[in-house]
Amino acid sequence: MKNSQRNVSCRPEASGSDFKAEQENVQELGQKVPVGSADYLAPKSLKKALEYRSRYGYKAVVIAGGTDIMVDYFERLSEVTSWLDLTKIQELKEIKFGPEEIRLGSMVTHRKLATDSRIRENLPLLAESASEVGAWQIQSRGTLGGNIVTSSPAGDTLAPLLAYQARFVLGSVSGQREVAAEDFFTGPKENIMTQEELLTEVVIPAPRKRTLSRWQKVGKRKAMIISSLTMALLLELDDKDEITAARAAYGAVAPTPIRAGELEDYLTGRKLREVSAGKAGELAVQEISPITDIRGTVAYRRQVTRDITEQALLDLQQE
Amino acid sequence: MEITFTINNEKRTLEVSPHQRLLDIIRKDLGLTAAKEGCGKGECGACTVLFNGEPVASCLVLAPQAEGAEILTVEGLLSREGELHPLQQAFLDAGAVQCGFCIPGSIMTGYRLIQDNPEPEREEIRQALAGNICRCTGYQKIVDAVQLAARRMQSGGDSS
Ligand SMILES: Cc1cc2nc3c(=O)[nH]c(=O)nc-3n(C[C@H](O)[C@H](O)[C@H](O)COP(=O)(O)OP(=O)(O)OC[C@H]3O[C@@H](n4cnc5c(N)ncnc54)[C@H](O)[C@@H]3O)c2cc1C
Ligand code: FES
Ligand code: FES
Repeated sequence: MKNSQRNVSCRPEASGSDFKAEQENVQELGQKVPVGSADYLAPKSLKKALEYRSRYGYKAVVIAGGTDIMVDYFERLSEVTSWLDLTKIQELKEIKFGPEEIRLGSMVTHRKLATDSRIRENLPLLAESASEVGAWQIQSRGTLGGNIVTSSPAGDTLAPLLAYQARFVLGSVSGQREVAAEDFFTGPKENIMTQEELLTEVVIPAPRKRTLSRWQKVGKRKAMIISSLTMALLLELDDKDEITAARAAYGAVAPTPIRAGELEDYLTGRKLREVSAGKAGELAVQEISPITDIRGTVAYRRQVTRDITEQALLDLQQE
Repeated sequence: MEITFTINNEKRTLEVSPHQRLLDIIRKDLGLTAAKEGCGKGECGACTVLFNGEPVASCLVLAPQAEGAEILTVEGLLSREGELHPLQQAFLDAGAVQCGFCIPGSIMTGYRLIQDNPEPEREEIRQALAGNICRCTGYQKIVDAVQLAARRMQSGGDSS
C-alpha cells in the first residue's frame, strides 16, 4: 500500500538549471502560491494554460480527470516533476448548442454527458457510451477530452465521435486548428497532438431530425471493464425511409477506432426495410483488423462484430 | 504547497506535495481512515468519497486538485451527537457488513444515489454501486441495506 510520506521524501525537486529558470518565469507570470508553483500549475484560464503548455511542453504532465494518467503513474507519481492541471478552467467545461453544431468543452465529464437531457436527446450515442465508462466514480472525474487524448482503440466515446463526424479543436499559443476525429488517431494510444497543444473543444454537427442510432459495448462484465468491442451505428433517413447517410464506427477492432466505409456505402441509398442485416454484418467484418488480446481473440471479435451489426440493423428495422 | 478545502463541513488548510493523492491526505494527514486503499487504480471503490457532491475514487485525485473542493467522507455522516446516519444503521441492520473494507465506499455511493433517487430499485442500486467491489457479501445484503435506508429516510424525513 502506498505511503504518502514516501512520496514526499523521494520526490525529486524540480531539477536541472533549465527548469529552475522556468520556475522563476512562472513566478513572473503572476501565478501565486498556493496553487501555481512550477511543480503544480493550475491555471484558471485557457490562455494561461496554453502559455504554460508552450513553455513546458512534455515537461509538465497534463492532468484532467486523472482517471488515465493517475493509473499510468501508479506508484511513481514522484517521477512527475510538474503537473498542468486543467480542472480549474471553467471555459473548458461548457456545452453550447447552436443551430448548426454542438460544441463540447474538452473538460466535460462522462457523468455530464450521460445525464444532461439535451445531450441524451441530441447525441444519444455519446450519452450512452459515457454512461458505460467505468462506473460512477470514474464518470464523475473522467472527461471527454481525456478519453480522446488517451486515444486507446477501446476508448468508449471514440466510435460515437466518429459516427457523429466530430471535429477536435486543438489550441496553442499560436492559434488553433480543427481536425476531423478520423484524422486525429494514428495508432494505439497515438494521435497527432503536439506538445504545444491542448484539446480544447469537440465540435459535432447538429444531427438531422430523422436520425436513428445504436450503441453497443461488449465487455466481460457490465461495469468497470475495458471494452472488447464497441459499435456506433447511425442512419439518416428521409421521409420515405430511404437511408440518405450511414455511418458505422467500431472501437477495439483495429489500431484506431475506424469507420466501415463499405458497409456505409451498402446502406446508403437503400430503404431501411430492404437492407439485409446479414449482408451488413458480413461487410462490417471485412473492414476490421482485430488482434487477439486478453479481451478477446480475433475470431471472437469477428464473430461479435458480425452479430452486433446484424442485430443493430434488425432492431432499427423494428423502430 | 498549501491548499484549502472543506471536509465534512470543516474548512482545512494543509501543506501538501503535488505528488500526494487525495486519499493520502485524508487518511494520513487528517487521520480520517474510513476511506480505504484497495487497489490504488480506481477499480475497487474502497476509497470513494464525495468530491463537490459526486462520488470519486480518491486514489485518482491529486491532492492539490482538492483546492477549494467540498469533500464528504463517512466520518461526516455522523450527527453532531455522534449518532449513526440511517445508511450506516441500515448496513448494520441488514447484515451487509462482513470484513467491512468496502463499506465506507459503498455507503458514500449509496448516500449519493439516494439524494438523486429516494426510492431506488434493486437494479438501480446495483448499477450505481457497480464501482464498489465487495469480496465478502455477494452484494445482496448491500443492496438490501441501501433499500432499507432509503425507505427509512423517506418515512423519517431524514435525508441529512
Ligand atoms: C477503473 C477505470 C475504469 C475505466 N473504464 C473505462 C471505460 O469503460 N471506457 C473508457 O473509455 N475508459 C475507461 N477508463 C479510462 C478513463 O476513465 C477515460 O479514458 C477517461 O475519459 C479519461 O479522462 P480523464 O479526464 O480522467 O483523463 P486524464 O487521465 O486526466 O488524462 C488522460 C490523458 O490525456 C491527456 N489530456 C487530458 N485532457 C487533455 C486536454 N484537454 N488536452 C491535452 N491533453 C489532455 C493527459 O495528459 C493524459 O495523457 C477507465 C479508467 C479507470 C481507472
Ligand atoms: S483504492 Fe481507489 S478505487 Fe481502489
Ligand atoms: S464486506 Fe468485505 S469487502 Fe465488502
